[in-house]
Amino acid sequence: MNIIITDSSLRKFLETPAKAETLSQNLSLCGPTFDQVTKIGDDFVYHIEVITNRVDTASAQGVAREAAAILTQFGIPAKLINDPYQDKPHFKEGLSKPFHFNIEKDLVVRFTAITLENILVKPSPKETQSLLENCGQRSLNNCIDITNELTLLYGMPSHIFDLDKLAAQNLHLRESHPGEEITTLDGQKNKLKGGDIVIEDGSGRLVDLCGVMGGSVAEVDNHTKNILLIVPVYDAKRIRKTSLSLQKRTLAAQLYEKQPDPELCLPVISKALQLFKDRAGAEVSSSLYDYYPLIRPSKTITLDFNWLNSFVGIEIKRETVISILASLGFLVTLEDDRLVCSVPSWRYHDINIKEDLAEEVARIYGYFRLPSVLPCVNLPSEPKYLLLDTELKIKKYLSNIGFHEICNSSLVSLELITKTGQNSNDLLKLQNPLSSEFEYLRTSLLPSILENHKHNQGQIGGILETYEVANCYRKTIGKELPLEVSTLAIISSDDYRNVKGKIEALLDYLKVKKYIFKPSQLSPSFYQKTASTDIFSDNLLVGHFGLLKPTVLRSVGLSSNPVAIEINLEILSSKINNEVDIQPISNYPYMLEDITLTSDKHLGGLIEGLKNFDPLIQDVLYLESYRNKHTFKIFFGSPDRNLDQKEVNSLKDIIQKHFTN
Amino acid sequence: MGTKFNEIVEITKEFTKDLKAASLSHEIDSLNLKYLGRQGKVNSLFKSLPIKSDPKIGQQINHLKKFIQTKLSDKLEAALSVAGHQVFDVTVPGIPIAKGSLHPLTQAIEEIESIFKGLGFVRRRYPEVETDWYYAEGLNIPKDHPARDDQETFYVGENVVLTAHTSNGQLREMEYKKNPPIKMINIGKTYRRQLDASHTPMFHQFEGLVIDKNINITHLLGVTDYFVKQYFGPDRRTRLRPHHFQFTEPSFEIDITCGLCQGTGLTDKTPCKVCKSGWLELGGAGMVHPLVLRNGGLNPDTCSGFAFGWGVERVLMMKSGLPDLRLIFSDDIRFLNQF
Repeated sequence: MNIIITDSSLRKFLETPAKAETLSQNLSLCGPTFDQVTKIGDDFVYHIEVITNRVDTASAQGVAREAAAILTQFGIPAKLINDPYQDKPHFKEGLSKPFHFNIEKDLVVRFTAITLENILVKPSPKETQSLLENCGQRSLNNCIDITNELTLLYGMPSHIFDLDKLAAQNLHLRESHPGEEITTLDGQKNKLKGGDIVIEDGSGRLVDLCGVMGGSVAEVDNHTKNILLIVPVYDAKRIRKTSLSLQKRTLAAQLYEKQPDPELCLPVISKALQLFKDRAGAEVSSSLYDYYPLIRPSKTITLDFNWLNSFVGIEIKRETVISILASLGFLVTLEDDRLVCSVPSWRYHDINIKEDLAEEVARIYGYFRLPSVLPCVNLPSEPKYLLLDTELKIKKYLSNIGFHEICNSSLVSLELITKTGQNSNDLLKLQNPLSSEFEYLRTSLLPSILENHKHNQGQIGGILETYEVANCYRKTIGKELPLEVSTLAIISSDDYRNVKGKIEALLDYLKVKKYIFKPSQLSPSFYQKTASTDIFSDNLLVGHFGLLKPTVLRSVGLSSNPVAIEINLEILSSKINNEVDIQPISNYPYMLEDITLTSDKHLGGLIEGLKNFDPLIQDVLYLESYRNKHTFKIFFGSPDRNLDQKEVNSLKDIIQKHFTN
Repeated sequence: MGTKFNEIVEITKEFTKDLKAASLSHEIDSLNLKYLGRQGKVNSLFKSLPIKSDPKIGQQINHLKKFIQTKLSDKLEAALSVAGHQVFDVTVPGIPIAKGSLHPLTQAIEEIESIFKGLGFVRRRYPEVETDWYYAEGLNIPKDHPARDDQETFYVGENVVLTAHTSNGQLREMEYKKNPPIKMINIGKTYRRQLDASHTPMFHQFEGLVIDKNINITHLLGVTDYFVKQYFGPDRRTRLRPHHFQFTEPSFEIDITCGLCQGTGLTDKTPCKVCKSGWLELGGAGMVHPLVLRNGGLNPDTCSGFAFGWGVERVLMMKSGLPDLRLIFSDDIRFLNQF
């Protein structure tokens, strides 16, 4: 959370010659961060980022305690003054109480209340007005301003009611019922969800949305004569829930949800009484009401000096450790090599283990004083992560031969799923999407890449080839987590054969074991069944390649007819040949012969058949087709002898006969 | 002696005449044989010299040999040249080949990975859709903790989230390795319910984790400094500020000096627009919380460690000065062509 305090309010608790600049710079290094320092008149306004578990520093007094500890370590004299924890407040006893509280269980940590009479409501003194205004608040009147000022000074919210506006003096602090309504001081009518902490005034009216904002029913105004002042500490979780659900992020709510120190209640109520007397001429008209159901036991943690030094990484002098902890309010006792530390009440929640104490010592000592050391941690041999290597190899290869890599969101819209003919039930859906644009986890990368092509339509002169490597997320049955499958997808506007050549080159470059493109049996819904293939390696399906359905292209709005590829990289990387296999080349020259076959078979099968037809056939190159006449260049050769033309010619005849149908 | 000089002159004359008459490559080849062959005129002349002859004559013959060689090779070059006498414009433009692009995130991730590899880190990949235990509960963020209801996390099931950080990799790695030492970098996609100039619902993080005997805060500083100087440049400095995370104790926010104002906080005497008083936030880090070590099956009494989780897009933007995070996820090829 962020707080705003002034330099002058800070100095109510801090005695130091340090100027605003030095103070803010040094504190930022060791404690709360000063985001902004602004000069206003003779004063400075500090915007401070309070670390979430350090609600004790969310006030002028809390920052002053940090400042006193930190500046001392920088060699600058600094002293905490007016420490409220040193106060021993006294309250008049024997007065009657013109109110009765009925407090339900588990809603408060502590609840203190007292009444005042003979109030004279008027504007606050100039000093208070400018303090509030500099801290971004509005000065209302002397009474309300007192509670706001005390919040800034001590980090402990308080609240006042016009006692005469409460219907009965029987106040019931309870959980709200679902649907109950309360109009708060900002004039808004709030419908409550139930479970919020509220105070009912005995007539069924809610007079306080506790810890968040007061009710307007018992608002203090210019005619107020009697006041009920409360300084409570509420159950933090309930306050947070109410504040978030009603979107009322008041300073009080932000403080209460971080569990302020109940030990501050009495010092604060006593300061308040003094201010009411000074500024409104008020007299105390009741005894103190103090409900404190569970007084916390004190907490001690033992800190071993040797452990501390090895954890921080340097040797810190014992006197330094002791003085740092003492300056932060810890009571320390030395026992041999250990320090027994009693945790101050305002650090009750954030100090729990010895590491917490190490943090206190190290940060106040100064992280910037620690040397920078590279750890000598050496791992024993680690197996190669083939998938990651393969991904990077693919990306570099494709980008080098003209493909553009795009990074799309894993989250896609229902609209895109529908457009590409997928069934949304197959995809994982977010329970709390940010918008309909990002709602489902994709199971294929192709739809997003189709959109990429659409967005670039008309912008690119020539061929557009793009790809993405990312995880697809597949629902699994009987398992808690989906399968995350590393996937490569490509869409290219080049023609079918060119693209296929590039994919084959990629697969060869990766050394993928024996792969084959078979007419598709298994391709996903957005492929044209008759114009796509399944890619197998070693008889395992690794992906699909082919043309997309014209209806899909039309609904995406793409006017071209691109080629698409999608490959499962988990499977592909398991099919990469890692063995080094280098073959010597025959010293006997090849004989290259063109041959035209008449066949109705698929070219793929025909080429495969040719390659395996005779051991003298070393390679087969497809040249062209005219109807069912296909021309190939055949490389004849033998590893151990020269071939003669007669032998080759007779082999050609046999091939002709065998493959012509 | 004079006769030898005369012979040289004669051969030169004859050669000049022959050369003029020859135009085809085989004619030039036979001239080569006639003059420069083993039995050729030049060699014969050499052989006919008496043992103690004037060294000047030898020099003259050598000159002749060079002369004939040069002339013949020039003539052969011209004869073989297909272009012949045509003018060849050497300034004609080349035929372009397709130039692709490697995504800036891929480049950044590769660079980050290689920096940590140099320190002996091993790269890992852990789930991006994760159970509550690895994502929160096991990282010391109990069910009712305020860190849970910050509305930033996407849920796909009651107990399953899209990871908003890569720290789930910490427990996964401890379980995988079972014992220290651990030294890993987990780079992956992360998701948060945010969208503006500096937030996208999907982004990338890199998570470092080092666990061994006697790992301390100075080691975290060492690794951070090393990364910052390698990635951003040797003149950058780092600082730790106290912070709070549930899964580290102590926790830090790490800042590095701003590249624009060189850490002064001022550009042209006005406050730097990019940073806070000379410092830029890099990200969070801390010493692994003993409870997290225990949840990962390790003994916090015998080992300790540090962890950090920083944004890939963040370091990329800090380095490149990209003004808007959303540009990184642009699919405009004209933009991507720059990478």
